Amino acid sequence: MMRGMLGVFTELDSTVEAIEELKQKQLGEVTAYSPTPRPELEQAIDPPQSPVRKFTLVGALSGAIFGYWLAIWGSEYWPLVVGGKAISTWIPYTVFGFEVMVMVGALSTVFGMFYLAGIPRLTTTVGYDARFSASHFGVWCECAPEKLAAVESILRRHGAVEVRGER
Amino acid sequence: MAQIAHPDAPRRPNIASADIQLPAVKDYDQVDREILQILQPTKAWFGGLLIALTCLAFGILSWSYQIHEGLGVAGYNPPVMWGVYIITFVFWVGIGHAGTLISAVLYLFRAGFRTTIYRAAEAMTVFAVMTAGLFPIIHIGRPWKFFWLIPYPNWRMLWPNFKSPLVWDVFAITTYLTISTTFLFVGLIPDIAVLRDREKNPLRKHILSALSFGWRNSEREWRHFARAYLFLAAFSTPLVLSVHSIVSFDFALGIAPGWHTTIFPPYFVAGAIFSGFAMVWTIIIPMRRWFGLRHYVTLNHLDASAKMVLFTSIVVGCAYVAEFFIAWYGGVQYEQDYFWNRVFGQWWWAAWIMLTCNMILPLSLFSQKLRRNPTWLFILSIFINIGMWFERFVIVVPSLSHDVEPWQWSSYVPTWVDYGLLIGSFGWFFMWFLLFIKQLPIMALAEIKEIIPPKMKQTDSHHHGGH
Repeated sequence: MMRGMLGVFTELDSTVEAIEELKQKQLGEVTAYSPTPRPELEQAIDPPQSPVRKFTLVGALSGAIFGYWLAIWGSEYWPLVVGGKAISTWIPYTVFGFEVMVMVGALSTVFGMFYLAGIPRLTTTVGYDARFSASHFGVWCECAPEKLAAVESILRRHGAVEVRGER
Repeated sequence: MAQIAHPDAPRRPNIASADIQLPAVKDYDQVDREILQILQPTKAWFGGLLIALTCLAFGILSWSYQIHEGLGVAGYNPPVMWGVYIITFVFWVGIGHAGTLISAVLYLFRAGFRTTIYRAAEAMTVFAVMTAGLFPIIHIGRPWKFFWLIPYPNWRMLWPNFKSPLVWDVFAITTYLTISTTFLFVGLIPDIAVLRDREKNPLRKHILSALSFGWRNSEREWRHFARAYLFLAAFSTPLVLSVHSIVSFDFALGIAPGWHTTIFPPYFVAGAIFSGFAMVWTIIIPMRRWFGLRHYVTLNHLDASAKMVLFTSIVVGCAYVAEFFIAWYGGVQYEQDYFWNRVFGQWWWAAWIMLTCNMILPLSLFSQKLRRNPTWLFILSIFINIGMWFERFVIVVPSLSHDVEPWQWSSYVPTWVDYGLLIGSFGWFFMWFLLFIKQLPIMALAEIKEIIPPKMKQTDSHHHGGH
């Protein structure tokens, strides 16, 4: 069974050093916590680029198509015939295409963020500490039981103010 | 090793700290402590809420009376069948524009002065659009049939006209309310997590846990959050421009004198930003004083926003002048007569309130001393709010009362019901705002922390004689 070790830090540079050593020694899956986005932590973790934009693109295109379709279908089904004018015209219907594109695109972006970030989640207790939302930084390393001691040693050596094992 | 910026070294440009420093804010704990102390109710807050609820009660009374007696109790007098309700609708939609401008457009432009004011502006946007949305429902007279405004296909012989700007408006306002609320809520999630982690009451903790969606401040969450926030800002930017353009089409696609003009979309957008910023001042300047937040919303921030107000005032002033010029240059007698009547005739008092408040008084902002004087900015914001309400009055009423047919020229006098609903709208808006500031952080904790240098062991060793 996988378990993990959580280190609570007060300093950003100590946190970065601990992450880098844990990653270098490949002791387990490392998660960093911080009260605010810090580029230093992202650089240390070196994750792939966020694919949220794909959700945005698909949502926006779907929304634009739906917006145009709604206006065109509604006009053709309930035609308001005004002398000499087309029943469906793309210029005024661009308003619907645009507005629905923005609405669906933005909502699908938020959905993508939730999906990729793994929220909503029911519990924050495992591998988390309430201080991470206030002023402390954190490192959670999920690893095999036999590696816990090594992880603990690294976290303590880099100045963690508290280290605890969790599962 | 990942690059660690020394606190004293110039930091890499990011959105929160692009051109802003908060020297009086030393660490993350101070941010939480000082901003979350606003959540404690005070006597002044209860007093403010009581005033807001009294205004709202007057509005509810007026509306109830109108529902019972019919729309005739409002001041409508044919052909002036748009009055205070439509004026107030456009006014509140305009107020709602600064929120998204500050949170989205200034975000994309890396304008750091937005950081400490954007949450208040976003909340203001949501509540202003909620307020605006009530007025078409009040205006139709039979509010229980409001869903007829929604152009969904149906079998009741209500054929939606997708070429009507009124139908465009329904889509624009609905999208704007949805996206503004989403933008506000997404930005709040990390801050709700802060409240959750500090909360001792189990019931409130459960509610805050649900509202924060189990947010844990992990690097993975922040990475996707930052990306999503960027795309939301990118969507919101053209949305800001589109919504008030579409509201302006409600007028510009009509053929009444003074309405049928292509200048309306940029004119309305500039006016909306102008009035929205004024309302931000009306809200934020007392708050920074009452809650001791002068070191968050600094004079530099107010100075920067004053330049924005000055710029939009000049744009709006140019639009006013261009309207007169085109009426003269176009040579259309009805237009010329209408504009003369607007400024020197029947409606001179409304037009001069508008011109004084929106064109003349904001010129004071060329003075740096006045740009950095919060008392003057607050007073000016009240004048601008009044001026922008009268701008919409001047657009709506004179055109309808002085149309191309002299035999139907008329006048318009609002009744106590109109005024009651206008006052009630302010009560409704400020009730929501006052409730908001006592439940959720009025400044973005996470973004302000981004500006504050993080604690470093290297710094500590310097402080402890490490030199």
